[in-house]
Amino acid sequence: MFKQITNLNGDEIYLIASLWVFLVFFVLVACMLFWMKKDHINHMKDIPFDDGESKKESNQSLQK
Amino acid sequence: MQLEQFKYDNKIVRNFGIATIIWGLVGMSIGLLVATQLIWPEMNFLNQYTTFGRVRPVHTNAVVFAFVGNAIFMGVYYSMQRVLKARMFSDLLSKIHFWGWQLIIVTSAVTLLLGYTSSHEYAEMEWPIDVAITLIWVVFGVNMFGTILKRRERHMYVAVWFYIATFVTIAVLHIVNSIQLPVSFWKSYYVYAGVQDALVQWWYGHNAVAFFLTTPYLGMMYYFLPKMANRPVYSYKLSILHFWSLIFIYIWAGPHHLLYTSLPSWVQSLGVVFSIMLIAPSWGGMINGLLTLRGAWDKVRTEPMLKFMVVALTAYGMATFEGPLLSLKQVNAIAHFTDWIVAHVHVGALGWNGFLTFAVLYFIIPKIYKTPLYSKKLANVHFWIGTLGILFYAIPMYWAAVVQGLMWKEFTPEGVLKYPNFLATTLEILPMHMMRAVGGALYLTGVIIMTYNLIKTMKAGKLVADESAEAPVLQPVVKSEPTKHRRLERKPVLFMVLALVAILIGGIVEMIPTFTISSNVPKIASVQPYTALELQGRDLYIREGCVNCHSQTVRPFRSETARYGEYSKAGEFVYDMPFLWGSKRTGPDLHRLGGKYPNKWHFDHLLDPTITSPGSIMPAYPWLIEQTLDNNLLDKKMNAMRVLGVPYSEEEIQNAFTDLRKQADEITTDLAANQVEIRSDSEIIAMIAYLQRLGKDIKAEAPEAVEEIVLSDN
Repeated sequence: MFKQITNLNGDEIYLIASLWVFLVFFVLVACMLFWMKKDHINHMKDIPFDDGESKKESNQSLQK
Repeated sequence: MQLEQFKYDNKIVRNFGIATIIWGLVGMSIGLLVATQLIWPEMNFLNQYTTFGRVRPVHTNAVVFAFVGNAIFMGVYYSMQRVLKARMFSDLLSKIHFWGWQLIIVTSAVTLLLGYTSSHEYAEMEWPIDVAITLIWVVFGVNMFGTILKRRERHMYVAVWFYIATFVTIAVLHIVNSIQLPVSFWKSYYVYAGVQDALVQWWYGHNAVAFFLTTPYLGMMYYFLPKMANRPVYSYKLSILHFWSLIFIYIWAGPHHLLYTSLPSWVQSLGVVFSIMLIAPSWGGMINGLLTLRGAWDKVRTEPMLKFMVVALTAYGMATFEGPLLSLKQVNAIAHFTDWIVAHVHVGALGWNGFLTFAVLYFIIPKIYKTPLYSKKLANVHFWIGTLGILFYAIPMYWAAVVQGLMWKEFTPEGVLKYPNFLATTLEILPMHMMRAVGGALYLTGVIIMTYNLIKTMKAGKLVADESAEAPVLQPVVKSEPTKHRRLERKPVLFMVLALVAILIGGIVEMIPTFTISSNVPKIASVQPYTALELQGRDLYIREGCVNCHSQTVRPFRSETARYGEYSKAGEFVYDMPFLWGSKRTGPDLHRLGGKYPNKWHFDHLLDPTITSPGSIMPAYPWLIEQTLDNNLLDKKMNAMRVLGVPYSEEEIQNAFTDLRKQADEITTDLAANQVEIRSDSEIIAMIAYLQRLGKDIKAEAPEAVEEIVLSDN
C-alpha cells in the first residue's frame, strides 16, 4: 500500500513538502486554540441564542 | 447600553425556500427519469432532447445548483442575519440574487437539453451562463459582506466562517474551471488540454462537492442544530479546528478522481494522502454535531427535524469515510467507473444535503409563518419513507458495483477475459438498477409529502416578511483582544484572505508543476490534431453527452488492456480540448475504438444499438442520420484551436471544407459499398469519422518509445 506514496521516481519532494506545510498550518491553528479564553468560547457558543428575536419571543412568552 | 430596532428580511428566506422545494421536485423527478432510462432505453423517447446524455447533466445540475443552491441561500440568509444581528445589506441585491439565480437555472436546463454543453462534469453550462453565474455570485458576495460589515455582533459565529470560505472558494473554482475561448455565443473550448484539463476539472469537481455541498451545509449545521436542540454546539474549539483543517485539506484531494490515469503519479499520490487525512476534520465535524445532541436525544424521538438532522450527520460520516476508502488505489481499481461512485454521491446528496435541507425547511417555515408545523405525523412519514428511499437506492448500487467491477476483471483459467462482451456485465446489474429506481421513487414520494405539509403550514399561518428584532449598537474596540483567533473572528476581510490562502496552497502545488514542467506530459511524435471532420464529430460527441456513459482512458491493468487495448498515455490527449475521459462506464471505454469495427457497424449501432448489441440499453440516435452537419463555425473552431496551441497550418484551415467533404465522401462510399445509402453531409458521418480516429495515433509509433507498465489485477 505504501509503495504508492514512496515510489515516485524522485517526485517525493512534492509530497513531503505538502505534508510539512499542513503540519505547520495545523500546529499554528492548535496554538491559537490553546490560548483561547473560556469566556470567549462560551460567548461564541451562545451567539445563535442571542439573536434579538429570541429574546423578544421569550420576553413575550413570559408576559403571557 | 443603547438598543437599536431593526427587522430581519424573512421574505427572501421564504422565496429561496419555495425555490428549494420546486427545484427539488424537478431535479429528483428528472433523476427518476434517468434511472428508468438506464433500465428501459425506450424511456429516452427516441428524441434528442430527452436522451440520457443530455438529460443526466440537467439532473445533476438541477439537484446541485438549483435544489441545494437555493437551500444554501435560504439557510445562509436566515442564519446570517440572526448571528450578525443585522438585516441583509440590500433588499435590492437580495432580489437580484434570487431572480438571477432562478434565471440561470432555467437557462441552464434549456441550453443543456438543446445540446449546448462544455462537457466539464458539474459545470456543463456554456460560457455566457458561466459569466452570469459569476455576476450573481458577486452580488451574493457583496450582499453577504455588506451584512457582515454592518453587523451588531462583533465576532463572527462559526457558521459565518463556513459561508465566507464557501463564497471565496467557489469563486476561485468557478473562474479557473471556466476559462474558455468562445467560438460563438453557445460554443467554446477550454484553454486546457488533456491531462491538464482533467486535473483542473477534478480539482473543480471534487471541491464543488467540498465547498458547495459541504462547507455551507456545515455552516448551516452549526447554526440550525443548536437551535433545534436548544443547546449550544458541543465544542467551539473543535469547530475552529474542524474549519481550518477541512478547508486546507479538502482542496488537495481532487486527483483521487484520476487514479491510474496518465496524470503524473506524484499528483495522484498527493490526492490519495490528503484524501485519507480528510477523514479527521470531516469526522471531527460530524462528532461535534452529534455530541451537540448530548442530553437532548429524547427530543430526537419527538422532533422530526432532529431525526432528519441525525440521519444527515450519519450520512455525512458515511460519505466522508467512504471517500477516503475509494481513494485507496486498491479499492479504486475495482470501484472506479462503477455504480459505487454513484452510490457514494447519492449517500451524500440524498442523506447529507437532502435530509439537512428538509430539517431546515421544517424549522424555518413554521418560524417565519408563526404557526406550528401542519402535521408532525406527515413529517415522520416523510422521514421514514426518505430513509427507506436512501437504503433502496444505495444498497443495490453497491451490490451492482461489486458485481460489475469484479466481472470486468475476471479471467478464465486459460488466461482470457471471462466476460469479454461488456454488455454481459451491464445486463447482469439491471435488477439492481430497477431497485435503485424504486429507492428514488420512494425518496421523491417523501418530498411530495413534505411539500403538501409545508403548503398547509403556510396556509395556516401568515408570513412575517419583516420580523422585528433589537440589539445593542456595536461599540468600537477599545482594548486589544488577547488571542489571535479572537481578533480574527471580528475581521471579515482578513478572515477571507486567510481562507483564500489556505485553499490556494493545495491547488498551486498540484497545478503549477503539472502545467509548467514538460516531463509531466511527455509528447508523442505520432499524435496529430483531429481533421476538420473529426473535430466536427468530436463536437457532436460532446453535444450528445456520450461522455456520461463512456470513458476514454484505458488504465494500465491487464483486464483493461485485454479488453480495450494499450493503456492511455498523457501525450495522446494534448489536442483534446476538453478532455473526455469520463467518470462512469455504463458502456465500454472508447479510447481504442478507432479501427476496431467497420463504418457500417457504427452506422447500425447509432441507428439502433440493439442491431449490433442485442439487449443494449444505449439510446438510439436516428437524428444523427436526418440532420445536416452544421459547418458554419468550422473555420472559427479551427482558428480557436490554433490559438490554443493546436498546430493547424493556414493551409489546413483554408482547405478545411474541401478536406472535410473528401473524408466524408470516403466514409459515405464505404457505407454505400455495404448497402447503406446516406448523404455525406449528415451528422452521423462526422460522428463515425471521430469514433474511427479514437486512440489510433499511438499505433503509428513503435511501442518501445513509451514505457510499458501493465499492472496485474491480482
